[in-house]
Amino acid sequence: MSNLRKNTPIATVTAVAADLTQDWGLDPGTKFAPETLVAADLGFTSIDIIQFCVALDQSYGTRFGFQDLLMKDGSYIGDVSLGQFADFIDSRLQTQGTPA
Amino acid sequence: MSVRTLFIGMDGATFTVLDDLTRANGGEPVMPFMARIYAEGSRAKLRSTPNPLTPPAWVSLMTGRGPGYHGVYDFIRAEEQGDEVYFTLYDARDCKVETIWSIASRQGKRVCALNFPFTAPPPAQLNGINVPGFIPWRHLRRNSYPDDIYERLKSIPDFDPQELAWDFEREKQSVDELSDEDREKWVRYHLPREQQWFKVAEHLMREEQPDLMAVLFDGVDKLQHQAWPYVDPRLQHNETSGFHKRMRELSLSYFRQLDGFIEQLVKTAGPDAQVFFASDHGFTGSTEVVRINAFLAEKGYVHFKELPEGEAGKRRDSTNFAFLDWSKTTAYCRTPSSNGITIRVARKPGETGIDPKDYEKVRARLIRDLEDLKDPETGERIIAEIHTREEVFPGSAMNDAPDLQLVLRDFGFVSVRNLQPVVQKRDYVIGTHHPDGVFLAYGPGIEAGKVLGRRHITDVTSTLLYSLGLPVPSDLEGKVPTAMFTADYQAKHPLKIGEATRGSGKDEYGETMDDEEKQQLMAQLQMLGYME
Repeated sequence: MSNLRKNTPIATVTAVAADLTQDWGLDPGTKFAPETLVAADLGFTSIDIIQFCVALDQSYGTRFGFQDLLMKDGSYIGDVSLGQFADFIDSRLQTQGTPA
Repeated sequence: MSVRTLFIGMDGATFTVLDDLTRANGGEPVMPFMARIYAEGSRAKLRSTPNPLTPPAWVSLMTGRGPGYHGVYDFIRAEEQGDEVYFTLYDARDCKVETIWSIASRQGKRVCALNFPFTAPPPAQLNGINVPGFIPWRHLRRNSYPDDIYERLKSIPDFDPQELAWDFEREKQSVDELSDEDREKWVRYHLPREQQWFKVAEHLMREEQPDLMAVLFDGVDKLQHQAWPYVDPRLQHNETSGFHKRMRELSLSYFRQLDGFIEQLVKTAGPDAQVFFASDHGFTGSTEVVRINAFLAEKGYVHFKELPEGEAGKRRDSTNFAFLDWSKTTAYCRTPSSNGITIRVARKPGETGIDPKDYEKVRARLIRDLEDLKDPETGERIIAEIHTREEVFPGSAMNDAPDLQLVLRDFGFVSVRNLQPVVQKRDYVIGTHHPDGVFLAYGPGIEAGKVLGRRHITDVTSTLLYSLGLPVPSDLEGKVPTAMFTADYQAKHPLKIGEATRGSGKDEYGETMDDEEKQQLMAQLQMLGYME
């Protein structure tokens, strides 16, 4: 995890997504790129999204409060890209500073 | 090195059923090995947490502290932000006190914990192994400790993570009203699942020989939710249908299998191991639905929101989270499993909720209104007990608790749906949680055939630490039931009270940010809701 912290947010997000899904039986050609949608392209269910957020929290040793990314006007948005996750983390790190 | 202490958790186990299954009744008992434990060991009823529910109760058992300190009250945690309420999931990071895994581990004991809830994400450090429960198979590898353990488990013949792990889609059925066919499938589903955990436990016990070996079989609870009419001895009658007989035999085969697993695990642990069994709560039958938010709406506290049209509305309704107009609601029940009422207090001018200075007055009125919910035929109160959080959740995490904790007259879980009537008789009896679970001990140094008075769930933590030869931390709430142990054992192993526990969930899980950062998301944890 310490290595992940040294990466850029998009590198960390894609690495965590690839690690999380390594034994899910995804198509070998599955891309982990900024435009990759977690539900449509990686088959995430809501529980998978929760676990993904926990894994990202763990990578940075913090809690980012991902509901601010995933909820809009009181409802959960349909899908999110890895790039949106990375941008969200980036903005939180700018606000909070890099975790210890 | 060999196993010193073996702990077998049986989620929802009750003496109501175990007493029946350990009785010979003219032949071999359904659970012959458990019968031997009755004869050669000690046992006591075990009082659960004020809300006898998996999250608070297992976390109390793992920490020796009440929910008022550990802070885990339900599967789902709600965070109110103005007129929005975010429903989030509790996880291991929310536990505010040290666990037994950490206490034993940092004192040099090797531990192995299998299938315990709220042990994910895994701790940063542990002297041993943790394979968490209540986690979908796709996330088991990442949430297990150490990193290589999941690959090691794959070497176990017939290891199947999909069969072993929590299946959220299936688990939601545990508290639904199912068709006869689905109920039968439900019971069958748990047979191979428990076998997977047994094989993992047996394999790791042989390979690792941990000082503390702990495994939880949670099928007891799940089966009893749907199969209570077939396992409660008080509900067995001569004129039962073919389906009833088939379901009873199927349910008994589950317990027969579990008994075999227990016997094998005890043998594998070896003759020097002390063995303890406990459940997080007991079981009984629920006969009625109590729609608590519908009742609070009648009294003006709750204002329901219109459900969206079509499938979206159906999906939202099935989530089992309260779907309310937050701008008008002043007191409500968040989830069925909480059996609690939350009073909304305006923290600053302009926020919805009652004025803080009116809190005591509003709460007193609310209690009176809840007391007035009565059976029109008998005049009996539907809500048998109403506790304030100061009464039942004193501690540093009390403010996260519901303002009122309810106990229904049939021990059922409330419904949060917008349906009428408020109180409705069920079509058939379903299993629900009873506050009295089980606690048993067996092995060298344990008194034979002894039945103790009721103990508390936090006593289990202290007892396991004592069995491990460790001092019991001074801040644990539980006491060691010394009467379970022989005088000779106590003389050779004097009980020691040691330094207080260290750290908190945060420290164990290596977090660095403050509480304001505590937000994860939520989603379809409707599966964990306790439905009508």
